[in-house]
Amino acid sequence: MTAEPRRPSDPAEPSEPAGEVVDLPNAARATDIALDELELVYAFIYARVGNRADAEDLTQQVALKAIPRLRQGAPASAIRGYLFATARSVLGAFWSMRLGLSQAELHEDLALAIPQGPPSNEPAERAQRILAELSDNYRRVLELRFLHGYSLKEVASEMRSTVGAVKVMQLRALRAAAKVDPDA
Amino acid sequence: MPEQPENRIDRIVNDLLHGRRLRLRAGDADEKEAITAAARFAAAGQGPQRMSPAFRRRLAELIESTPNEAWLTRRAALVAGFGVAAGAVAGGLLGKQLGSLGGASMLSASSPVVPVNGQWTDVGALADFADGQATHVTAGAVGAFVYRRGDSVSAVSSICSHLPCELWWEKGSGLLECPCHPVSFTPDGKPSSPSYTLSALNEVKTRITSAGRVEVLGT
Repeated sequence: MTAEPRRPSDPAEPSEPAGEVVDLPNAARATDIALDELELVYAFIYARVGNRADAEDLTQQVALKAIPRLRQGAPASAIRGYLFATARSVLGAFWSMRLGLSQAELHEDLALAIPQGPPSNEPAERAQRILAELSDNYRRVLELRFLHGYSLKEVASEMRSTVGAVKVMQLRALRAAAKVDPDA
Repeated sequence: MPEQPENRIDRIVNDLLHGRRLRLRAGDADEKEAITAAARFAAAGQGPQRMSPAFRRRLAELIESTPNEAWLTRRAALVAGFGVAAGAVAGGLLGKQLGSLGGASMLSASSPVVPVNGQWTDVGALADFADGQATHVTAGAVGAFVYRRGDSVSAVSSICSHLPCELWWEKGSGLLECPCHPVSFTPDGKPSSPSYTLSALNEVKTRITSAGRVEVLGT
């Protein structure tokens, strides 16, 4: 048995991407092209939800919503634009449902540029830019926890602190990190 | 006693660091900025991500099956485990296209969810279900609300028949409410709101074993 789903505090209705129908370029290669584009969508989504299960669910939702609208004959750029518009909509609905985040709050994050190449290390580079703006302790706790995979106990030992204190520091560091604009 | 924010965030961080999905609870929204930051750091710590071969194959099958079907029916999607997306297809996209497609292949929205190779999933003892109340359960990819009436139970899909939103049980009114728009359903899935004309919720099959366990037909 599972818990009753939480009622979102801000049940914003997710907006659909524009109802444009674009065409896939070549029937024989349609699946491969769509999969290559969905690979970018997957990386885009994964970088925002941080786990495979949710990233797969959301990518599948993008495919379900977008693929039926794609027929033969359009450039990959049009396909990509449509898929990412759908990905933003799906991600917006995900966070809106899970956290009650409004579409307006998500707008800036989801308006990021569409990736132009294969999955890159951009998320890690972005994380480094954020870490660089934090105080030493905050940077250290996030580096050890997320980039080196330390347990709380190991972080506490490394930082000569207690597990309780590290837990509080982790929360404060994440709050501080959320306020940093890595693109400024 | 409410969970301290640092414990709440550490639970989420731990899940992320162990590759588990985001499991959020009431109150977690207070730390939404910290949670989204944690998700991004977790992703950053794992390097560039590519789809697994198994997931890529699943998507390929999904894409290749699409041209022949034109649109995925809501029921088919529910059975395939795409509950939320299915609602989007049925409620958002399909609804716009029914005129041109004629809706001939669309199954009744209130037809039962019968997964291909479905299996009965134990969701608890009958005694665990409060009489006259609906309880949210999952049976593999099928989400449902099980409603107990005395010694019998029934279940309906937990996804709204219009918008792709997960319903919640309002004890006070005894109705399943949609968080995305002002509609509600009775425990047997019939729409109760006069403001919208809606399809009923899909029935989900249930049974009670001789040992008094409730089982739901899922995936």
